[in-house]
Amino acid sequence: MKPLPSPLLDDRKPDPRSEGPQRSSRAELELKSLLDAAVDAIIVIDHRGRIEQFSRSAERIFGYSSDEVVGRNVEMLMPAPYRAEHDGYIDRYNETREPRIIGIGREVRARRKDGTIFPCELAVGQVAEVQPPRFVGFIRDITLRKQADERLRRSEAELRLAQELASLGNYVIHLDHCEPDYYSPQLHRILGISAMDDNVPLTTLLRLWVHPGDREKLDDAIADLLSKRGACDAEYRIVRTDGTTRYLHHIAQITHDAQGEPLKHVGTIHDVTDRRQSEDEARQLQERLTHFSRLSTMGEMAAGLAHEINQPLSAITMYAQACQRFMQSPQRDDADVMEALVQISAQALRAGEVIRRLRQFVKNREVKREPVDCGRLLDDLRTLAETDARLHNVRLRIETEHDLPTVYADPIQLQQVVLNLVRNAIDAMIDAPDTRREVVLSTRLLPEGEIEVVVADHGSGLAPDAAEHLFNPFFTTKAGGTGLGLAISRSIVRAHGGRLWHTPNEGMGARFHFTLPVSPAPKGE
Amino acid sequence: MIKEIRPTVFVVDDDAAVRDSLRMLLKSVGLPVEVFESGQEFLDAERDDRPGCLVLDIRMPGMSGLELQGKLNERHSILPIIFITGHGDVPMAVEAMQAGAVDFIQKPFRDQDLLDRINQALEKDAGSRRMLAERNMIRKRLESLTPREREVLDLVVAGKANKVIAGDLNLSQRTVEIHRARVMEKMEAHSLAHLVRMVLEVERTEE
Repeated sequence: MKPLPSPLLDDRKPDPRSEGPQRSSRAELELKSLLDAAVDAIIVIDHRGRIEQFSRSAERIFGYSSDEVVGRNVEMLMPAPYRAEHDGYIDRYNETREPRIIGIGREVRARRKDGTIFPCELAVGQVAEVQPPRFVGFIRDITLRKQADERLRRSEAELRLAQELASLGNYVIHLDHCEPDYYSPQLHRILGISAMDDNVPLTTLLRLWVHPGDREKLDDAIADLLSKRGACDAEYRIVRTDGTTRYLHHIAQITHDAQGEPLKHVGTIHDVTDRRQSEDEARQLQERLTHFSRLSTMGEMAAGLAHEINQPLSAITMYAQACQRFMQSPQRDDADVMEALVQISAQALRAGEVIRRLRQFVKNREVKREPVDCGRLLDDLRTLAETDARLHNVRLRIETEHDLPTVYADPIQLQQVVLNLVRNAIDAMIDAPDTRREVVLSTRLLPEGEIEVVVADHGSGLAPDAAEHLFNPFFTTKAGGTGLGLAISRSIVRAHGGRLWHTPNEGMGARFHFTLPVSPAPKGE
Repeated sequence: MIKEIRPTVFVVDDDAAVRDSLRMLLKSVGLPVEVFESGQEFLDAERDDRPGCLVLDIRMPGMSGLELQGKLNERHSILPIIFITGHGDVPMAVEAMQAGAVDFIQKPFRDQDLLDRINQALEKDAGSRRMLAERNMIRKRLESLTPREREVLDLVVAGKANKVIAGDLNLSQRTVEIHRARVMEKMEAHSLAHLVRMVLEVERTEE
């Protein structure tokens, strides 16, 4: 409890009702003004708990005037349960002289005139050398402090919760060692340790635990931090002591004083494992689909592939047979034989090239048909397609009708068809200005009882030449294309009893449509 | 005049190597050959009334083999067509045969198989052309008859005796005999049976 301020002048007239036998004494007046000058409420009670003095700050804090309380039991200023017990405390002290509160001070609750209850710090002293004893209470209203404490506590809790939710940890390392370093609880959790060992610097810990594949990234980040830039922004993996691998996004900065000496190393470490993992999963799914697109419809493809190999083989056979005949002919021309031989080796290489491409297509997967909601299918594809679209700065819009009837199909194959069409649409807009870079994916029910899915782009559209060969296997307009995407897509759609075709888009670009009969399954498989 | 043009094998295939190897194979057996890389190119060259046969790839971008066959049928071309098919093109081959193709051969094939089919096709073409030429000749002879001679011919072919014909046409039997001799002479008929066969041949195709 802080010392009472020095006495100040009191111009208040003495209250006639508080007049007692010693009221005119100088000491009494001095005490009175002393009490009134105090910031804390000061209340003097007698051995039975009756209020004798009620300071001006007490009046202010409790809302009672001195007249209203003097002579009454002090318990009126207390809420339950203190109220009921207070007399007992005094009696016990009077009997045992064992101080429970005197000279100690504690936090209690008090009651104002208007009934509100407020927290306060209470210190109690016994007025020495007086019989029967009297007690002085010093009461400080700590409502505001409590509120501030509560706000601080809450904002700390919120920060902790936010860090926890975001898997974000932060730390402050005082390079001048003026203050202890700070590591947030979430940082401990991210690193998988219960408390940071002050003797092991954070960077040393990270260097120790960094994934061998990312060691360079971390070293670069630390070098950045120690360089003139004094900042780093890096992502790397660590292997924690529990054996799990986490992806960390680490942003840090070093602040300097006016002389340029490093003061603090402040940083955040964000655990981005979940995001990375879902990205990895999406990528794996995409890889599976791409892989699948190469081998899914091997049966369907057989004719096209056989044709592709048969061409050079037929040519080789005929050249060789022509050679034999030329050789047997009495008036043979060696130039003819030579020409045929040159062609034979060229065609053998061509066949080899087809087989090389064929190698990428391995064995078939079992096709599974089930009822599929095309709207859901498109929504499920959104992430995957958007990844692709974003990569090429293309917007993706999906328009689906609600409550579409289901189609009986292999969802993976359908996703493959849609993804393939979306990818083509994206590729078609590779040179388009930003305003046009949008792919619209839509699905609707046709009156014929078919579901139609349309992928529309605003690209350069289809050259008549290309449109003609579009569905031929190995026909491609793309540098890295296999020329199988549309051929496979068409055979998948046909295998589902549907059609795949294209029309010009209004204004610009192309629209690829495919239809699928609504369930039950078509008999033509 | 027709016989002076040597029968030619026309090849239509979009695949340059297949086209060229066919050309060389046919050259090696001494057959005249002309190659085309598309159905349209062949149509534009107007070779379809020339003696020979057509070796046609059934699968081609743009105008397919079947489409070219349809266009040639519209033009009343008699050029025999041998289709080259790939693995799994049997349904298309069936369609081609129904539309009048002489044969089809599946890739890859032995040269002798193709050459045999080509020879058969060329024989068929030669036969068709001979028959056409003969019909044209008969028509020309028929056109040389006078209306009265034509009347007599029709009744002779119908199997009527001279006496009956004389009665039908209100002529003397002697006059009928003179007309009949003129008809036999103009039609270059060796016998009555020969005459009847010629007339029926032309009438059958004109129906």
